[in-house]
Formats: sequence, structure tokens, C-alpha cells
Amino acid sequence: MTSLLVLFFTAVIALFAGLFKKRQWLQPLALAGTGVAFGIALVDINTSSAFNERYASMLQFDTYALAFTVVALLATALIFGLSRWGFRELSDTLGDNYALFLFSLCGALCMFSFTNMVMLFLGIEILSIPLYVLAGSRRDDLKSNEAALKYFLMGAFATGILLFGIALVYGSTASFDLHQIHAVITANGHSPNMLSAGILLILIGLSFKVSAVPFHMWAPDVYTGSPTMITAFMATVVKTAGFAAFYRLFSTAFTGAGDFWEVAVAMVAGLTLVLANTTAIFQVNFKRMMAYSSISHAGYLMLAILAAGQPGAGGALLYYTLVYSIATVCAFACFLLVSEQNLDETFTAFNGLSKKQPLIAATMAVAMLTLAGIPPTAGFFGKYFLFTVAFERYPWLVVLAVINAAVSIYYYFKVIIAMYFSPEENAYEVKIPWSIRLTLAAGLILIALLTLMPSSVYNLI
Amino acid sequence: MSILLFILPFIAAIALLATRHLPARPIALTATLANLVVTIAALSTFNGDGSFNYEVNFPWVASAGISFRLGLDGISMLMVLLTNLLAPLIVLSSFNQQYNLENRYFGLVLLMIGALNGVFMALDGLLFYIFYELALIPIYFICAIWGGANRIQITLKFFIYTFVGSLFMLVALLAVYLKTPAIALENGLPEAVHSFAWEDLVAVQLDPTTAWWVMLGFFLAFAVKMPIFPFHTWQPDTYTTAPTGGTMLLSGIMLKMGVYGVVRWMVPLAPEALHGWAPVFLGLAVIGIVYASLIAFKQSDLKRLIAYSSIAHVGLIAAGVLAWNKAGMQGGMIQMLNHGINVVGLFFVVDLLERRIGSRSLFDMGGIARSAPKFATLFMLVLLGSIAVPLTNGFVGEFLLLNGVWNYNSTLGAAAGLTIILGAVYMLRAYGLAMFGETNRHTSEFADIGLREWIVLGSLAGFVLIFGFFPQLILNLTDGSVNKILGAVQF
Repeated sequence: MTSLLVLFFTAVIALFAGLFKKRQWLQPLALAGTGVAFGIALVDINTSSAFNERYASMLQFDTYALAFTVVALLATALIFGLSRWGFRELSDTLGDNYALFLFSLCGALCMFSFTNMVMLFLGIEILSIPLYVLAGSRRDDLKSNEAALKYFLMGAFATGILLFGIALVYGSTASFDLHQIHAVITANGHSPNMLSAGILLILIGLSFKVSAVPFHMWAPDVYTGSPTMITAFMATVVKTAGFAAFYRLFSTAFTGAGDFWEVAVAMVAGLTLVLANTTAIFQVNFKRMMAYSSISHAGYLMLAILAAGQPGAGGALLYYTLVYSIATVCAFACFLLVSEQNLDETFTAFNGLSKKQPLIAATMAVAMLTLAGIPPTAGFFGKYFLFTVAFERYPWLVVLAVINAAVSIYYYFKVIIAMYFSPEENAYEVKIPWSIRLTLAAGLILIALLTLMPSSVYNLI
Repeated sequence: MSILLFILPFIAAIALLATRHLPARPIALTATLANLVVTIAALSTFNGDGSFNYEVNFPWVASAGISFRLGLDGISMLMVLLTNLLAPLIVLSSFNQQYNLENRYFGLVLLMIGALNGVFMALDGLLFYIFYELALIPIYFICAIWGGANRIQITLKFFIYTFVGSLFMLVALLAVYLKTPAIALENGLPEAVHSFAWEDLVAVQLDPTTAWWVMLGFFLAFAVKMPIFPFHTWQPDTYTTAPTGGTMLLSGIMLKMGVYGVVRWMVPLAPEALHGWAPVFLGLAVIGIVYASLIAFKQSDLKRLIAYSSIAHVGLIAAGVLAWNKAGMQGGMIQMLNHGINVVGLFFVVDLLERRIGSRSLFDMGGIARSAPKFATLFMLVLLGSIAVPLTNGFVGEFLLLNGVWNYNSTLGAAAGLTIILGAVYMLRAYGLAMFGETNRHTSEFADIGLREWIVLGSLAGFVLIFGFFPQLILNLTDGSVNKILGAVQF
């Protein structure tokens, strides 16, 4: 709760700082805000604070919520670490940009901690609306405008479906409160059709948000069109928030509601894995490839939803989102440096990078290996935990996921091949800003720590 | 001691990969020699009754039952001996090439050697899997950076093939792991956890259907690695394009990971399915032997010829081990070491020829024995070992292997026996074409081997003779462990 307040006030201050043209304050301010919120969340995990329980009927910052808060804040802090370089061309909108990031993050925190469907809905809206603006923040770029419009239309559409689902669930259980919904469902012993329809509509709405197939169509265009900093935020924080809310809702409210939604989730997961990975193979644009990669990771994360409520499932989700977020931010940071040097967003931009920029190339290689889940990187443990929790009941889906993990090597390795084995050299040699060096180093250290001590995160929930 | 074996090369590797100006060659050679010393020290106090020596065990992911557990029984010891005996020779033989970015090259080689030692010592299912994959990454980079023509496509195929195979192993491991009894943790965590410890995995009783699938999963991983027909298609291309050091690592040590995996993990974890699967596996292995030998006949590229001969020899090892009797198993053990020595020797010869003549084609050679008699003699010794002439190292192993396969099924045994005849024919044909006959303008001025080459080829030839005369050295080392494993899994 305190973290949420800290973030909100930081955002307001950032807005005013932008207004009064204090450009150089903005990055330190945003970093300090997320840092303080991060510290408070970390302390709160270990000591239960009464303040966090005060609004328990709406927002409850339990261990689950705080752990995901830590993940989202970490990812945002890494993105802010890049922002001095990433935002250097923004003029008078700089303050708005930071503020919108932070407001969006407030929405994510609501999605981690809601105990009431209304807060879920509000959280999603608070998260999304700043993003619609941010996606279009390169106003002179047609693609950025297209991304904003697409994102807005599809987002509004998904929200409508979600809201309809919430209404139907309310109609059949007479409550917005997750625990009460659960109590009604278990008391009834069966789920009436209206409830089933409601749950399915909520499932569809949330699948839109986490870009799971077949509700993923918006993602590639939006990811490609948005400025890279925004894409990094969408691929990490938004994805984490979507899944954390998804898991919280289904593990708290709908566990007893029968198997029908599990079948739907299993099918969505299978479709997502196959389609995203096979499509990603054919991409030549790095950002588009990362968009499909992000869709495919939604497929893996669906395995945790399938195991909702089982011991270890929440931990697996937490660990995976954390590792995935760090690796994705690192990948986008490297891409940002490389693509801005030679105005090339395809894989050829990476040709010969290992000779010109060995550090960037090494970071990128680690990020790609992590995303591909190659042992012994932390990405492997992430996949391993997800596979374990889902294996007992859905062995076929795990086998499918395993095959797709192998397919994904192909496109992740395209980057490595370009960087290390390509005879051509497109990459320019530039001085890397120290803020980016620090951010990348922090990312690498975090990945190494997560590899050595997976239990420390996995056991949190 | 077991920790040292993989941590020494790792440290050296990281030092070489992280810096640009360290002297790569001395560091690599020192690290591998230090490992050899550790191995010999480990051998000197080794207890060969089939128990695990020098065991270390740290909890790693306690809440998932994963621990960092290493130990050496006779079979592991043999594989570690093979790895560390060959490692200095592989490093030394790479000195003959000029590689750009030499630090990276030797760093990756050392990383690979550390991971290989880890594979052979791991006693935790997931740790084994991690090392198994970790060994793949350096060799992928070695082949893709310093390889020959078409290296990028070929090595990517190799990587995806082996990675897909081992993912099936991961699923099989998971299936067995989830069947281990869940034990409540001591430190007060609510949920009980399963275990990846080797003993716990072995103790699981699987129902026939699960066992059938589990064994298939493991087999896919190991069959790709060895490789067994029809999973071998990545191998000739990869061996041919890889730089010599990479080929030696692949053929000499890495493919033994597959055989080792069968003995240590596949059969003990799913013994219930062995009876049903063995005819299929043995059949494939024997088909591979004959098929690869026949293809080897037709090769004019010496490196490719040896690659195919390697498929045949490893097919025989796989068949002997899967026959699951004492003769076959002991034969497999001794032959894993000997094949490693022979094939590294042969690839060294190819490399030497290619450097002097600029071609690997047998038709560009001829009459080399006349200008390089020392080289011709050592080549002959290694070659005799490879075709299993009595009193060379190959003989005892192949004899025991054929004995094992014959005991399982005499028809298969007879077919597998072809490998010796065919092997002799294609190897001697190659030798004849390369070393005898008329000299040409390349080979007439063929320089005999220098000191460094003498050390490598000479010690390999020495091993051929030593293990040919005293096979009992190896057989004693593995006897206890082989008895134990065979006793635990009745066929």
C-alpha cells in the first residue's frame, strides 16, 4: 500500500517537474521513487504491516502482491536506468512520459493486490490508459500513431468483454469480492451457465491483455510501432501485471468452478505456444520477433494458470516473470543502442557486434539464452518450475511446450549468430553511456543471482 | 576432489573469456594438466567396489529437491579419466592452428571440459541435465566461430537436434521425479518435496506404460548424442566442418555422454521398459553399424570417413551396453576409453595431413610413408587400435562387446561382427591410398612430424599399446560398479 502511495506521489511530482522544465531532475526522481517503493515492498514482505491490511476488502498487499510489486518495480527501475539515453530526444513531453510510466505502474500494483473485481477492472484501466498515450508518444511517426490507435481499440474492446464477464459473474454470485465468489461457487457445488459464461468472458478479456493466441493480433504491430522504451515496459511490466491478476483471480475465486475453464486455458496455452513460436521464426525485424517471443512466453505462463492453487504454481509464475522481465529489458537495452546507431531494426543490425562491442554482445547473448531457457541460465529454471507444476495433470501440454522451447532456439539464436558468426560488420563503435553500462551490469548480476539461488524467489509465495 | 575437477577449468575459462590479453595457450595447457594431476590423485585413492567416492552434496534448490551432488564410482572415474587424459592432448593439438580470438577459443574449450567432467560426476538428475546442456553451448560456439564452410547452418542443425533430444530427457526426468516420495522439509516449509537424487530416482517403481515413455524420452536424448541410426544425420557434417579441437571434443568425449547416460540414467531409472525396448534399440544400433561402415567405404574425404567409422564404433558400444550383460557392459566401458583415444588420434592425423597438403581428399595423398616414416608408423599404430587388431587397445573392447551382443542374440551378434571386417577394409584402404603408392607434388616434400606433434601422436599411440597389453587396468576399475548396476537391474 505504501509503495502504491509513494509511486503515485512520485508521478505527480514528475508531472510538475516536467511543467517547470527541470529535465535533469526527472530520471533521478523517477529512480528514487521506484527505489523507495521497492525498498518498502521488500521490507513489507518480511514484516506484516497493518497498513497493508487496512483496505483488505479492496486491495490486500499480501506476500503475493508484494512479491509481484517487487518484480514490476525492478523491471521499471531497469527501464528508468536506460531512460536518460532512451528519452534524450523527447523535449517538453519528458515529464509527462515519466509520470505516465509511474501512473501505469500504480495500475499494475492494483492488479497485484485486488480482492474485489472492481479493483481488478480499475487496475487494468489505470495500467492501460497511460500506455495508450505512451504508445503514440512519437507523434511524428506514423507507425507509433498506428500502434496507439490499435492498442486503444483492442484494449477498449477487451475491457468491454472483461466487464461483461464481471457483470455475469456478479449476476450469478451476487458479489464482487473474490473470497465471497469462491464461497458461493463451492457452496453450490456446480457452476450455473451464467457463471460459466462470465468466467469465459473474463478469461477472454484477460487473454487479450496478456496477448495470448487467438487474442494476440494487436501485439506485433503495437510492439513494433511503439518507441522501444515503451515496448520494453509493455513486454515486462504489463505482461507481469496481466498474469499476476489472472493467477490471483483464478486461484482465489474460480478454483472450484469446475474443469471447463481449465480446458479453455489449456487450449489457449497450446495454441499460443505453437502459433507464436512458428510465426517468430519468420520475423526479420527484431522488435517483431520480440513481440512474438513475448506472446510465446504467455503460452508458458499459462501453464501456471492451469495449476492455479497448487503448491509451487505461484512461485513458478513469480520466478518466471522476474527472469523474463530482466532478460527482456536487457535485450531491449542492447537493441536500443544498436538500432539507433545504424537505424536498422532487423537482425542485420547485430552483424559483427561481438567484435565491435563485446560487452553489449555478451549481454545480448545471455539475454537470448535466458529467454530460450537454455541451462544453466535462470530462464531454464523458470521453464523447469512451470513444467513441473503442470506436468502431473497436463503432460501433453508440457511435451508441447518442450517442443516449442526447442523451436524458439531458432529465432533467439539468429541474434547470436548475427553477433558472433557473421562475417559482415554493421555495428558501429560508440561510447556506451555509463547509465546503460550500469543497467546492463545490474541485469546480468540479477540473472546470475537468480541462477544460483532460485529458491529465494521461488519460495516466496 | 570432484569439485576441483570441474571448477579448475571453469575458473581458467572465465579468466580467458573475460579478458583479452592473458596468455591463452599456457593457461589452457596448465589447467588441463592440473586436472589430469587431480584425476591421477583421485585414481590413486580410489575405492572400486561400486560405491561413490569423493562425494559432495550441497542443497541448491531445496524446495524442489535439487542438490549440487557429485560423486565418482568406477564408471564415472573411467569417463573422467578419459576426459582429462585427452584434454591436454586436445589443447596441445590446437596449438598447431592459428585461431583468431585465441582467448575465446581456449576459454570455450576449457568450459566444455569442465562441463564434461560435471556430466560424468553428477548424481542429481537435474544437475546432470544442466551439465549435459552446458557442454553443448561451448561446442556450438567453437564449431560455429572457427568451423569450415556452411558452419552456421550445420552447427545450428546440430544444436537443435541435440537440444530437442535432451528436452525429451528433461520431460522423462520430470516424470520419474514426480513419482519419488515427497518428503516434508525440515525448515518448516509447508509443502513436501520430491527428490532428484540418483538413488531416489532409481528406487521409483514405474508402471509399464510410464516406463515405456520414460525410456523413450531418455533414448531420444542419448541416441542423438551418440549418435545411433537414424538420429545420426547431424554428425558427419558437424565433424567435418568443426575445427579439429572441436571434432576431437565431440568424437572423443562428448558422444560418450550418450553411452554414459544410458548406463547411469536411462536403464536404472526405467528398468521395467528395457525388456520391451532392447530389441528395437539393439536393432537400430546394429543397422547403424553396417550402414555407417558401408558409407565409410565410399568416402574420399578422410575426415568424413572417420566420422562414419565413429558412428559404426559407437553403434557397437551402444549395442553391447544395451545387451545388458557383463561382457557387453565391460566391453562398452573399456571401448569408450579406447575409442576416445583412437578417434582423437585419427582426427589429429587428419588435421596434420590437411595442414601439410591443404586437402583432406585421399586422392590428393599418396606415398607419404616414404617421406615421413615416423608419422606413418604412429598413424599405423593408432589405426591398428581402431580396427581392433589383437594386442592393441581396440581388440579387448570389441571382443567383449561382440560377445555381449552375441549372448543377447546370435544373429545380431553376427551382423555386428561385420564392423570389424568392414572397419579393417575401409581403414586399410584409406591408409593405403594416403601413405603408399606414388608421391605427388604435395606429398613428395611432406615434412615428418615435429616435436609437439610427436608428443600428441606418440602419447596416443602409447595409450593404444598400454591399454592393449593391460586391459585389466580398466576392467578392474569398472568391475565393481558394473556388477552393482547389472545386479540392480535384472534383465
